[in-house]
Amino acid sequence: MGISDIILGLLILSGAFYILYRSIWRRRGHCGLCDSRCRCIAKFKN
Amino acid sequence: MKNITVAVAGNPNSGKSTLINAIAGTNLQVGNWPGVTVEKKTALLKLENIQVNLVDLPGTYSLSPYTQEEVIARDFLVKEKPDLIIDVIDSTNLERNLYLTVQLLELDIPVVIALNIYDEAQKKGIIIDIAKLEELLGVKVIPTVATKREGIKDLLDAVKTVAVEPEKFKVKKLNYGEDIEEAIKIVEEELKIKKADLLSQYPSRWLSLKLLEGDKLVLKELNLNEDESFLKKAKHHFIEAHGDDMESLLADLRYGIANGATRDVILKDDNKRIDITEKIDRIVLNRYLGIPIFLLAMWLVFKIAFDFSKPFSDYLDSLISGPLTKWTAYALNSFGSAEWLISLVTDGVIAGVGAVLVFIPVIAVMMFIITLLEGSGYMARVAFVMDRLMHTIGLHGKSFIPMLLGFGCNVPSIYATRILETERDRKLTALLVPLMSCGARLPVYAIFIGAFFAENAPTVLWSLYLLGIVMAIVLGFILKKTLYTGFAPVFIMELPPYRMPMFRDLLVHTWQKLKHFVIKAGTYIFAVSIIMWFLLNTPYGVEKENSALGKLGKTISPVFEPLGFGTWEASSSLVAGLIAKEVVVTTMAQIYVTEEAEQKEEEKGFFEDLRDSFLSFILAIKDAFGNLISGFGIKSLALEEEEEKTPLKSKLQGIFDPLSAYTFLVFVLLYWPCVVVGIAMKQEFGSWKLYGQALLIHSILAWLVAFVIYQGGRLLGF
Repeated sequence: MGISDIILGLLILSGAFYILYRSIWRRRGHCGLCDSRCRCIAKFKN
Repeated sequence: MKNITVAVAGNPNSGKSTLINAIAGTNLQVGNWPGVTVEKKTALLKLENIQVNLVDLPGTYSLSPYTQEEVIARDFLVKEKPDLIIDVIDSTNLERNLYLTVQLLELDIPVVIALNIYDEAQKKGIIIDIAKLEELLGVKVIPTVATKREGIKDLLDAVKTVAVEPEKFKVKKLNYGEDIEEAIKIVEEELKIKKADLLSQYPSRWLSLKLLEGDKLVLKELNLNEDESFLKKAKHHFIEAHGDDMESLLADLRYGIANGATRDVILKDDNKRIDITEKIDRIVLNRYLGIPIFLLAMWLVFKIAFDFSKPFSDYLDSLISGPLTKWTAYALNSFGSAEWLISLVTDGVIAGVGAVLVFIPVIAVMMFIITLLEGSGYMARVAFVMDRLMHTIGLHGKSFIPMLLGFGCNVPSIYATRILETERDRKLTALLVPLMSCGARLPVYAIFIGAFFAENAPTVLWSLYLLGIVMAIVLGFILKKTLYTGFAPVFIMELPPYRMPMFRDLLVHTWQKLKHFVIKAGTYIFAVSIIMWFLLNTPYGVEKENSALGKLGKTISPVFEPLGFGTWEASSSLVAGLIAKEVVVTTMAQIYVTEEAEQKEEEKGFFEDLRDSFLSFILAIKDAFGNLISGFGIKSLALEEEEEKTPLKSKLQGIFDPLSAYTFLVFVLLYWPCVVVGIAMKQEFGSWKLYGQALLIHSILAWLVAFVIYQGGRLLGF
């Protein structure tokens, strides 16, 4: 395994963590609570 | 372009969301029980050159400040001042619905009444004199049947008229009697002098009535108290005549108007005959039969779900672990990709995400049947039937509604606790919701049941769901005696009539429930698969047992030793399940499957594989329908599948025995709720405390119950 493999591996891993952060924390997961514009209503309370 | 806001208000289960869906072509969640909409939702609609913002308000019986739905609806109407209110009325229950209408008319906002469910009223022999109702209330009344889109055009014409000629919709002031009108006048005049700025913000008549009622939220917002001299002066006469309770007095008055109007406009009420709803309810709500019927219905749901979906799951499994993996590896090899990258894609992503996707058919069929039961009105009966049991844990049947929603996904159930009146009820229900087995746990059940209990698949699955409900009652009872003491008020719930949901609605709402599982598979199950692969292959080239994940699993595995699954593989999969329950299967697939998959290479060409896949799919459809028909005879599909075991199932059979497998499933059912449930709890209750409690309580509960089952089973010789 060369240095390029390690860099590629780290990039893929960072991407995975970003997707996880984005889908779980920023978008509060997916729970079927969407309004007509597919926004999570939990994020748009009053 | 002109912009107008139209609020859609009405009693729970009067069909507001269905009406909006019919008007705007949206797909708002609907269900045949009260309280489906717990938050206002919006839909946009273009009418020629008018942009209409339709706002679906939560269903309320009044505009008092006692429940969250009422506060949300009231705040929107009073503070946002929509251009029009469409008041959706259940025509079969005119009097009760008109009580809200009377209050809406106090807001000085144009109102149009949609006399919804008009067809059912007619079937029941209720004839409403629409012209008279219009005359009495001074509003336009349009009969509608939202499910059939009847009356929608007239409703849209009314919306257009409000936008173009608002003066045509002048609000008629209902006369509350000389004394009350005099009192309102006193308060209004005083407000004009002392709080003139408020009268531009709030409807003056409504504000005066709320001050007379002593509405605490309004008093607080205006920085006034009940003892203000002008209020005392206005109420003086009533306090002497009726005591201090102005709120009840005004409520009686509004009920009087609603009652009088109903008597005046209903021409014939031939509602004496027993309709089909009552006939069914006599059996379904029977004191002794209600719960057994519910249990039987649950068993049938699982039986149908398993029988129908299994051929599709098997098909997907063979497709993913066969041609998809093979040809992806081939393509990556052709590009000269590194060995580790090929392993990451095939053993990590395809095996991990694939392990969840395989069970999408089971989840889809389950969600379809649950949607059917919701839409038919049966789920509302379940809440009613469960009321007595729920009282033993200090809650009432209404709490069972969010819990039932939990069979789909626990996250919306946490939000649905808003329909409950008190903070204590909401928190206690939220703590019990994760014990309801959500769809995400199905892949775990399905793989283990397929491997160990194929002959009794529906019964084993049923037992797990039932155990979840029983444990919720047990835990609720313990919490009632310790952390959440108190008692539940009497449960009053309106039971909707049975209705056959429209097939389109069924498909749409099944998809709404299902889509988040698909999105999850493409987002965080995908991400977790990659992370798990790295953990399983760090340092690269070592045995999985000695990888980072292996070491983590080994460290905690002693905890699970007394439960019969003290292996590093099971332990690390359970920990990974904190992200989402499906990840348990994802991780297991990555751990167990790799080397097995390589042994099954077959020398087939791409197009041969493509043709085989297509033929297998046709066969799966045939099998699914065949199973559905034969499932209620003697033959059961699961028995016939012995010959083709997937690599993961075979591997599991070598590691678990039926007792430890069942114990593992019980642990997965009861152990900690996933992080998304935690985020929902944090959002709803303002802190992580409740999720912390849930993590601790559920972990202890899961361990104890699994311990009793495993050790008890061993003692009994299983």
